Amino acid sequence: MTPDTAPNPLAHRVAEAIRTPAPWEVFAERLRRYEIHFNGRVVEVLRGPLVVEGYGVRLFRPNGEAIGTGFQASTDSTPSGIAQVVSDAEAIAARSTFPAKAVNLPSGAAAKADSSQILDTKLWAAPIPRMEEYLQQLLAPFDRLKDVVPSFGSTRATLTETSLANSSGLRTQYAHTTITIELALKAFGGAEGAPPGEYWVNDQVRRLDPAHAGDRVADWAQFAQDARRAKAPPTGELPVVLPAEVLATILPSVMGFRFSGLSRLRQIAPEAGSAVAAPGLTVYDDGTIPWAPNSAPYDDEGTATGRRTLVKDGAASELLYDLLHAGAFSSRPTGNGLRGLTFGTRDWMRFAHDPGLGPTTLDVPAGSGGSDAELAEVAGDGIWVQQLGWASPDGLSGAFGGEVRIGYRIRGGKLAEPVRGGTVGGVVLAPPGTPSMLSSVAALGSKVELCDSLRSPTMLVKPLTVAGA
Amino acid sequence: MSDLRDFEGEIDRLLTRLEKRSAYADIMAQSAQGQSVRMDRQSTRPASEPRFQGAAVRVWAGTKWVEAATSDLSPAGLEVVADSLEGALESDAVRSEPPGPSSTTAATSLTDPPHPVSELGVEGMLKLARDVRGWVTQVPSIRDAIVNLAWTDEQRLFVNTVGARCYQSVMRVRGTVAAVAVENGKVEFDFLSEGGVGGVEQLDFLTEPHAKEIAESARELLAASTPPTGEMTVLLDPGVAGIFAHESFGHGTEADQFVRDRSYLKPILGEVLGPESLTIVDNGAYPGGWGTIYYDDEGNLGQRTVLVDKGRFVGALHDRETAAALHAKPTGNTRRADFVSRPFVRMTNTYVEPGDWSKEELLKEAKNGVLLEHATSGIEDPLGGQMQLKVKKGHRIENGEVTGLVTSMALSGRVLDFLRAIRGVSDQSDFIISPGFCGKGHSDILPAGTGGPYLLSTAVVGPA
Repeated sequence: MTPDTAPNPLAHRVAEAIRTPAPWEVFAERLRRYEIHFNGRVVEVLRGPLVVEGYGVRLFRPNGEAIGTGFQASTDSTPSGIAQVVSDAEAIAARSTFPAKAVNLPSGAAAKADSSQILDTKLWAAPIPRMEEYLQQLLAPFDRLKDVVPSFGSTRATLTETSLANSSGLRTQYAHTTITIELALKAFGGAEGAPPGEYWVNDQVRRLDPAHAGDRVADWAQFAQDARRAKAPPTGELPVVLPAEVLATILPSVMGFRFSGLSRLRQIAPEAGSAVAAPGLTVYDDGTIPWAPNSAPYDDEGTATGRRTLVKDGAASELLYDLLHAGAFSSRPTGNGLRGLTFGTRDWMRFAHDPGLGPTTLDVPAGSGGSDAELAEVAGDGIWVQQLGWASPDGLSGAFGGEVRIGYRIRGGKLAEPVRGGTVGGVVLAPPGTPSMLSSVAALGSKVELCDSLRSPTMLVKPLTVAGA
Repeated sequence: MSDLRDFEGEIDRLLTRLEKRSAYADIMAQSAQGQSVRMDRQSTRPASEPRFQGAAVRVWAGTKWVEAATSDLSPAGLEVVADSLEGALESDAVRSEPPGPSSTTAATSLTDPPHPVSELGVEGMLKLARDVRGWVTQVPSIRDAIVNLAWTDEQRLFVNTVGARCYQSVMRVRGTVAAVAVENGKVEFDFLSEGGVGGVEQLDFLTEPHAKEIAESARELLAASTPPTGEMTVLLDPGVAGIFAHESFGHGTEADQFVRDRSYLKPILGEVLGPESLTIVDNGAYPGGWGTIYYDDEGNLGQRTVLVDKGRFVGALHDRETAAALHAKPTGNTRRADFVSRPFVRMTNTYVEPGDWSKEELLKEAKNGVLLEHATSGIEDPLGGQMQLKVKKGHRIENGEVTGLVTSMALSGRVLDFLRAIRGVSDQSDFIISPGFCGKGHSDILPAGTGGPYLLSTAVVGPA
């Protein structure tokens, strides 16, 4: 038996026990988490299994010309626990309104969804040994490094059995793995007496690959060493190069909000066909990219995931919808009903959250800008941002900005001395005719990289505002 | 939800079993209930806090901790936890004690507000949200008003094998209002957020004048100019001063960072770093503070710890292990985000204590610069000693007067340079504690209060 074919998973059992009128849905998870926390190379804490089994019930009730939705979640799956959850949800639905004309739940026969590109079977079979093997390979390159050590870190693997059921007959389940890797590298030593430098890696992936765990350690070590001698960047409107790992902290939250039914309800979504980005820039939302952290066969409402065009050659195209927002605009849901979207507690326990509308993985195709060196050459005189403190983009105004944790000056088309401190900021999207980050993209690199919820090439933006020395 | 004390018998049996295999074990059981209301232009969404409970169990394995957790508090569920922990331990019983002192505190504390949330009820929350929305949307150009009201009542029970038994029920109440203004395709917003441990009185700030003030501010932001860029005199409003305290001295004094040699502050403990007007504390016992706790997750009392005393860096935040490593005492700062999360050294309410300047005196002292208002986020840099603070808006300061409104900004700089440049801190009349959420790295999010009065210094700012 594979992990995604467990008999009678929790959502299906809860559905059997529900005695309330349709429409309703159940989303359930059985989560097993394992964690290894280390200080240097010493294991501080070994954690697991951390087992949480829970479910959420959402039901929909007419409320005047609107629809009322009631949601409640619980870790109590006894008959009395389920009855209490349904009672809570009914009470909430009676006081709730959302301007949907109708909600059409997805239907489908009992089926096993395809977990093949979101489930690390080796990790599933032996989580702790696999994590230990990965960490061994991750830390091995430090033996060859001078004056750079692993400072601390952790590997947290979550093994999840997700199941869904609804009153339209949908019964499905799939299994997936998610791993977060945190590693801080510290650089020190030398005669110059500079304080230690740090580079902090935070990564989220679907599978562990011990054979390639240490591939980027030399780069990270260089960033940590360069942080020791970095100076503040200059101040001004400058060409700025942003690799995918920085763009991943900026684009998904702003574009996922503005290109969605959420913004359309507020009448601030871009008009289809309007110019929102530089010509040549195309952006998709794609919930099917193999091994992407947000990929899954279904979204958290049971709608099959897919690929949508948000921006086509610089012009606004489609919007994203979950069930409720699709119901508000008589549209079709796009597979973007996701749980646990908001920053806060229990964000990895999706069952504890009612669905919201958000992006899966934004996919920006490669351009013709060439290699990193060629992008720097086009930039001429500017900065390369390798890591921002926290871009904290704001979906409503589109503004973003953060401190440069490590970057490089670009002089005469070549990467020069490291920079650190100061801020880089701007506006991702602006009304037509007003400069924005997307409208100022001057070149796209020729190679894409998957980072969290973005697959993108490196972008050259001319200009962004840099505040430094 | 059940009263966690109903599970004490099972918890005791579990610890008795583990006691045979290790010199020390503890358990933190958690459950919560709560209610929220979210209302915007199109929808009204009440919600209940998930019916959520579980327990984390920790055993000392001689050289490291081993932990397991479960959401199943039945005898069978706790047996599974005991089985897995015993499997992770060596075959011989561990007789060595874990580092640091073990709490033996036995006590119970419950939030007992003057106006319990039951006085308001769901209907009262809906009415208040409707009223606030009505006040905000009376202002021209306001497209939407998003109102969130929420309360949670969280129970935690900590029991260990050496006698500690701490039960607490902490009631947190919070309100947030965002006014969204739109003109000619441009979107701006401003917001108001307050809350703390207590009852309905935590929502007293939701008045018509406050709601309209936020709406006017959102509308004015549509026409605001971009902020000045570069190094300049900065006046932080009380909320921003609180984020400064949290990101600079809060994270930097979490003593696990000292043990890892990851804090720029460790080598300078005891040194004078700022002016006499600067005192920074972490205070888990602050009455009504958003981050207030009665006991931490190692059974120590929530308490006040002075980090910077009149400019001198004097203290750090400790759990039992860091206290042992650094010859200190636990400070009541061991916190788990929830029963699945690892305990770390964490902040509670971290704030700059009031000084003796008035805001007007600080403006005159500033002469020219920028006033940063309405903090939205911050991030620490414990090793590098940098900090980043972000704000929703600000005003230029010209000739000692508050002048033009400017849009969102980020402040960046070296903490020690910022401290040395502090020129004044305003008095008690400006002091507030704001509600926020804090992560350890990028995860383990939990409630933390931040606060202060106005604070004048120098830093680099730019649009954000």
